[in-house]
Amino acid sequence: MAATHLSRRDFLVNTASLAKGSLLVLSAPAILTACREASESARNEAAFTAFRDEEAVELTAIAARIIPSDDTPGATEAGVIYFLDNIFGEPQREPQLVMLRDGLRELGLQVATETGAAHFHELTEAQQDELLAQNENTPFFATMRYLTIAGTFSLPEYGGNQNKIGYQIIGFEDRGAWAAPYGYYDADYMEKGE
Amino acid sequence: MAEAVSPSYPTREEVDFVIVGSGAAGGVMTKELSTAGHSVVVLEQGPHLKAEDFHHDEWAIDHNLQHMWGRTQGYPQTFRKSENDVAEERETVCGYAHNVGGSSMHYSGNFWRLRPIDFREASVRGTIAGTNFADWPISYNDLEPYYTKVDWEIGVSGLQGPWDPPRTREYPCPPMPIKGSDVLLERAAKSLGLNPYPAPVAILSQPHNGRPGCIHCGFCNGFGCEVNAKSSSLVTMIPVALASGNCELRTGCTVHRVNTNDEGRVTEVVYWDGDGNEQAQRAKAVVLCANGSETPRLLLMSETSRFADGLANSSGMVGKNLMFNGYTSVAGLFDEPVNAYKSVPATRVVHDFYELDPALGFYGGGGIDGRHPSRGTPLGYALMSGSLFGGASWGKEYKDKLAHDFAHVAAFDGHTTSLPVSSNNISLDPEVQDKFGRPAIRTTYMDHPDDLATMRWFLDKTTELMEAAGASNIVGDYPENGQEGNVHLLGTCRMGNDSDSSVVDASHRAHDVPNLFMCDGSSMVTSGRGQPTMTIMAMAFRAADLINQAAQRNEI
Repeated sequence: MAATHLSRRDFLVNTASLAKGSLLVLSAPAILTACREASESARNEAAFTAFRDEEAVELTAIAARIIPSDDTPGATEAGVIYFLDNIFGEPQREPQLVMLRDGLRELGLQVATETGAAHFHELTEAQQDELLAQNENTPFFATMRYLTIAGTFSLPEYGGNQNKIGYQIIGFEDRGAWAAPYGYYDADYMEKGE
Repeated sequence: MAEAVSPSYPTREEVDFVIVGSGAAGGVMTKELSTAGHSVVVLEQGPHLKAEDFHHDEWAIDHNLQHMWGRTQGYPQTFRKSENDVAEERETVCGYAHNVGGSSMHYSGNFWRLRPIDFREASVRGTIAGTNFADWPISYNDLEPYYTKVDWEIGVSGLQGPWDPPRTREYPCPPMPIKGSDVLLERAAKSLGLNPYPAPVAILSQPHNGRPGCIHCGFCNGFGCEVNAKSSSLVTMIPVALASGNCELRTGCTVHRVNTNDEGRVTEVVYWDGDGNEQAQRAKAVVLCANGSETPRLLLMSETSRFADGLANSSGMVGKNLMFNGYTSVAGLFDEPVNAYKSVPATRVVHDFYELDPALGFYGGGGIDGRHPSRGTPLGYALMSGSLFGGASWGKEYKDKLAHDFAHVAAFDGHTTSLPVSSNNISLDPEVQDKFGRPAIRTTYMDHPDDLATMRWFLDKTTELMEAAGASNIVGDYPENGQEGNVHLLGTCRMGNDSDSSVVDASHRAHDVPNLFMCDGSSMVTSGRGQPTMTIMAMAFRAADLINQAAQRNEI
């Protein structure tokens, strides 16, 4: 059975439950303007709004394990960190930013205890994956997973999905208009009939 | 369309009609009453968005409820499974879009007519103990002219199928081109001896009534149409109403009370305007088209010493018999790109199981269509991808699977009946309030055992179809523990001839209040098979016709 399965009429309920366990259940509409502005600042390589540089490095490293870069781009190239900075840069997110920082600090302690290293981003990918797997059920990780995916696949104006990299990864053609046939099977149907 | 100067009616002078809500029913009602020459004020909670405001923005719309509104925007709702429980506060439970056009703005536009059997199923099938399963006071023939009116005035694309009820006129637009997901469904269904046929949709396959045909962008369900090809009341009815010169559309207006006088007639509708100031618009008559959760809430909030249990509620049926419709969904993976994310949600239906065999031991029925499991949304699919077919929910394995599956997945969905039960209902939450201080909509709901059995049956049947289609991975789901929210809000002010067991009569007039009418999903006596909006619009055309006739006879 699919655990969360969006269909036509349950999308509402599931939309809320998709982020269940995350610090950030739903965002506020005010982000629209804020994000457009932040998207501008990302292009200008301006400083982060919400994060200190060392936090941004760690969050970028975590996002890079959730959607890694390999033979295709991942969260890093999508600019997920700018999306995150937009979300947590909103004034009403202050309490959630505190919780995110708590999670980051907790992860930092685990890094030190288990590897002796100073920072998550200095670990090998295998070490990083192992640590994150241990944290899979924490609100901190659920938040990072939710927002890394959201930052990779939401509209670029929110700061992530830069150059529509997310769409390219999954083969979503962002043309906004099509004419039939749309795929293999309807092309086959046109050719061969029923 | 000719521009007309919108009237500005003084609130202290009676207009002919105040209509609450501008959605599927309210839009039709507004157009029909205003073009008949009546002065009409329509009150809408949300803004008047236009095509240029609509975009493919999942983050804003699905994740920030830009159109739906919830607790985040100051409109929490509450939910409980049983009347013995204390309801729990939720982001939202009963979902609907808050804007001119209501949920017709963001719907999928699956426009299945009811069949003759829907109106007399209790007589034919027999009553069901513990439920309020009943015949409608009207027949398919009473509604057929208005279904045809919907086809032509709203704009529906389709082709009469083998199971469709008789129609007096063909569809105005041919069916949508078939999608890959529906080629898979159609071929599978035929291999099982079934009769798939083109899905009727309220989306234009070609230009009609001055609007363009669909560009197949794929963002129908949950999104507004950026080219006005989707046949919402926003683009079909409201512009005609405004052009009549008789209709004043007031947006950003939050209604909280319908006042009555000593004679038990409604006199005015009280609301907060966009600036938060309380206003009261006087009217000769009031029509509530606020949807199956808002209409009963407003009636329950409009209690007086004369109407102690809520306005128009002598039957005790206001808010009762809430029906969500059931649903099931089975997803499968295919070798070649399906690209089900392109174009309208569904282009084929299987209606061979409209009525399940009574020998199964439970009541039920429904229809099946082909879909993309996340409505085609990239972010939505990326979030569900980890859990849908199992496997990793992050990392390289997750990414690789997501990259492959998004274009190769198809879903076959079931859309099924719900039985009317008194204990499934809308009431006023005693604790939780919205930002205006109105009691939150409290939903009490547990799917009837027959409804769950019907969903299980459709899950099995769609799984069989998915196997016949040759999918390599098959997973299915239905809400086996009962639904906890929906966007179909039906039955809560049911229509009937008997004032002891229904809220409105066959002409949608409240049994208890002569100049009050209710017409929306709440009027439905039974649930149909999961695509109610076509019927809601047809009922609104019919109700408006009868109201216009009554007004002519001076009988309002």
